[in-house]
Amino acid sequence: MTLSRRDFLRVSAAGSGSLVLALSFSGCSGIQTGYREEDDRWVADAWLEITLDNTIYFTLARVEMGQGTYTGLTTLIAEELDVEPSVIRPKFAPVAPEYRNPLYKLQLTGGSTSLATSWEPLRRAGASARLMLVAAAAEVWQIDPASCRTDNGRVLHPDGRELNYGQLAKLAAAGKAPENPELKPREQWKYIGRERGRLDARAKATGTAQYGIDVELPGMVYAVVTRPPRYGASVAGFDDSAVRAMPGVLDVFAIERGIAVVADKYWRARKAQAQLVVEWNTEEALAVSGDAVMEHYHRAADDDPGEEERREGDFGAGVRSADRVIEASYEQPFLAHATLEPMNATAWYRGGRMEIWAPTQAPDLARIAVARVTDLSPDEVAVNTTFLGGGFGRRLTQDYVEEVAAVAARIRKPVKLIWSREEDTRHDVYRPAMLHRMKATLKDGGVTGWQHQVVGPQILDWYVRNAAPAQYPWAPKFLYDTLGKVGLMAEGIATPKDISAIEGAVDYPYRVDNLDIRHTHTDAGVPISWWRSVGYSHNGFAVETFMDELASELGRDPFQFRRELIRHEPRHLAVLERAAAMADWDSPPAPGRARGIALFRSFGTYVAQVVEAGIEGGDIRVYRVSCAVDCGEVVNPDVVRDQIEGGIIFGLTAALYGEITFENGAVVQSNFHDYPLLRITALPEIRVDIMASSDTPTGVGEPGVPPVIPALGNALFALTGIRQRKLPLVARA
Amino acid sequence: MALTLTVNGHTRTLAIEDDTPLLWVIRDELGLKGTKFGCGAGLCGACTVHLDGAPVRSCSTPVSMAAGRSVTTIEGITPAEGLHPLQQAWVDHGVPQCGYCQSGQIMTAAHLLAYNASPGDDEIVAAMSGNLCRCGTYSKIIAAVKSVAAKHQQGEARDDA
Repeated sequence: MTLSRRDFLRVSAAGSGSLVLALSFSGCSGIQTGYREEDDRWVADAWLEITLDNTIYFTLARVEMGQGTYTGLTTLIAEELDVEPSVIRPKFAPVAPEYRNPLYKLQLTGGSTSLATSWEPLRRAGASARLMLVAAAAEVWQIDPASCRTDNGRVLHPDGRELNYGQLAKLAAAGKAPENPELKPREQWKYIGRERGRLDARAKATGTAQYGIDVELPGMVYAVVTRPPRYGASVAGFDDSAVRAMPGVLDVFAIERGIAVVADKYWRARKAQAQLVVEWNTEEALAVSGDAVMEHYHRAADDDPGEEERREGDFGAGVRSADRVIEASYEQPFLAHATLEPMNATAWYRGGRMEIWAPTQAPDLARIAVARVTDLSPDEVAVNTTFLGGGFGRRLTQDYVEEVAAVAARIRKPVKLIWSREEDTRHDVYRPAMLHRMKATLKDGGVTGWQHQVVGPQILDWYVRNAAPAQYPWAPKFLYDTLGKVGLMAEGIATPKDISAIEGAVDYPYRVDNLDIRHTHTDAGVPISWWRSVGYSHNGFAVETFMDELASELGRDPFQFRRELIRHEPRHLAVLERAAAMADWDSPPAPGRARGIALFRSFGTYVAQVVEAGIEGGDIRVYRVSCAVDCGEVVNPDVVRDQIEGGIIFGLTAALYGEITFENGAVVQSNFHDYPLLRITALPEIRVDIMASSDTPTGVGEPGVPPVIPALGNALFALTGIRQRKLPLVARA
Repeated sequence: MALTLTVNGHTRTLAIEDDTPLLWVIRDELGLKGTKFGCGAGLCGACTVHLDGAPVRSCSTPVSMAAGRSVTTIEGITPAEGLHPLQQAWVDHGVPQCGYCQSGQIMTAAHLLAYNASPGDDEIVAAMSGNLCRCGTYSKIIAAVKSVAAKHQQGEARDDA
């Protein structure tokens, strides 16, 4: 990916005389919102700090939630700085404009964008720093900089003398950053593209990595919140007399999102909470049950053909001249994120400021969330990001930060809020349930037309309330609601166009003459958010299952059918052929097993998968997944394989078990017994092949998810002859 | 009420309600944060510790059950210098992604290897079946456990020779 923004580097000597390189995007410069720690050891807007004692700090602007930024981004800067990645000490970024994701103009981690958006700027920052250190050494030695070399954190004199980067930091900091440092050609890479360990593995294997839930502050107390069982209900009244009589209880009070119980210990807060009696006002509460959401979608689809999102040829004319018209509807449920670390956050309100410690994917939105529920402005809020025990999109929504901020503002002591697993499951912001209506025209043994009507909500409708103010942090708080509304109206200008419902549908890649892709925008009132691979997760199932149906209708082999229709897309074709070869597609599987195939591009990454599955003892059994992936240049092959494999398991979990349902507006599922995750006993053999490529790297955190769901469904069709058009899949349709 | 338990070799006397889950005693009273809260119902294994050498779900174990007994946590198996062989294998194989479940995974694996030094794949899978990983690191967990078992076997072979 090429950034259109002109980047520039600023250099400064920090108080201690260390070399600090700050890299800014010109599109954001001039916006002064950066919070600066009082502690001058930390330089808020620096990417790279080299101290006099030769410690190299790298500020990680994208959070680490398992996807490997801690290792991947550090490797980028290490490569050009010419120092072992393991020597560098990454630290999590505070909120500052420099750390915004240039694609979203927000400081958030998501959309499989971290590596792609860091690829050029971080390498350039490392290269600039290295050149400045070399220039400083050349000045010391009074020689031509071109005669110096570097190696693992040292500048080398031709006669064998050397100076380490720390020794040179002060002098280098007085120099000028090169405008356009040359980047190493790939033949000279030492660290990029090599199999290397993860820099955070040791901390995570010893239990010393600090997650949000592990934050400990002096005199800290604990909060739990009782929330409305039905979304949209509010507190009508409550009786806390029994709660207050429980040991350790410090306070009980209403906040916007429910009733907070604060105690000196977590378990005491939980036990006391059980004594709380709340009367809910349910006039505006969600009331859906059973199939009501899907019925609502079907009615909406009947009433409104939807907005045209892509049109080629004339689908209607194709229908009139077709030999046959094939139709199918696919129904997909709400899904929970189920991060293993439940939602939690810690806050401390003192001296007119609030400090937050949170496992969050969007620290600048966390500031807005605090400002919304307190009398503070965003500039009075500091956010410390920790390791995240899983994100998958859940931690883009800051509801848990709002809660802890509201509690801290009243309690005025350090306070940690922890959600129970039941609360985490029932008060999630879900992957939306979606309906897909598909229609295709067949003529002379081929496909002449493809119509896809996506039916369901848009995520930005739910998110813009916090996102829009974060983009205009100087806006007064009374404008937040307005900004949210304006953000929606000015979609594509003030906020990114919301493609969450249609991504993966509008970019239908196969060669078909008549295309008609539309979105019927309707919302059932259930809170929703991004979920690993977002719209691709449901559009992948619809597109690749319907493709399979068409192959079957035409009596064609599902692999060959796709192959012929994708010949014009070389990267699609290459992964498709590789996956088929890996799975030995042309040889029959063992008795009782069948194979299904799917091909899908998401987040710029091309993935093809073949699933081999069967039914054993009344359960679906996945034996093998063969996956070919093209994600451009590979920074860390091990991380790529991990992410794709993890995505496959995430997708299989959804395909086999994933379903959040409602009964009179309340979520039915609560914990891992009724919202199961795939266990090691169900682990298939997974093989991932990475295509060699010199294209700009694209994301890998999400693209493994979408194809595995239809590939499994297609395998079950091959096995049973029964087409399943509703998720989760069942052993007997 | 006061109760006494031994955690990682240190005997501790605590004044705490005896129905408090062992997990919160370990984490908040003793400050050992390596043991994680995942589900509170013994379903995910993130809170796995050893009680007299056997793996238990500390989220569902009242602290009274640990009274007078010996508890080992992830911190307790980490040597003062270097790493436990399983921790080293976790680093070498790059097992952790988000890492949140890994303390529990390692504690379960450590118990497996304590009574079965060279388990087969099926035994590893069976032993690890109670530990969930949302990131999907299972294949690397199996590989890492196997590598420790294989080293042990090689060690035994050398001892025999």
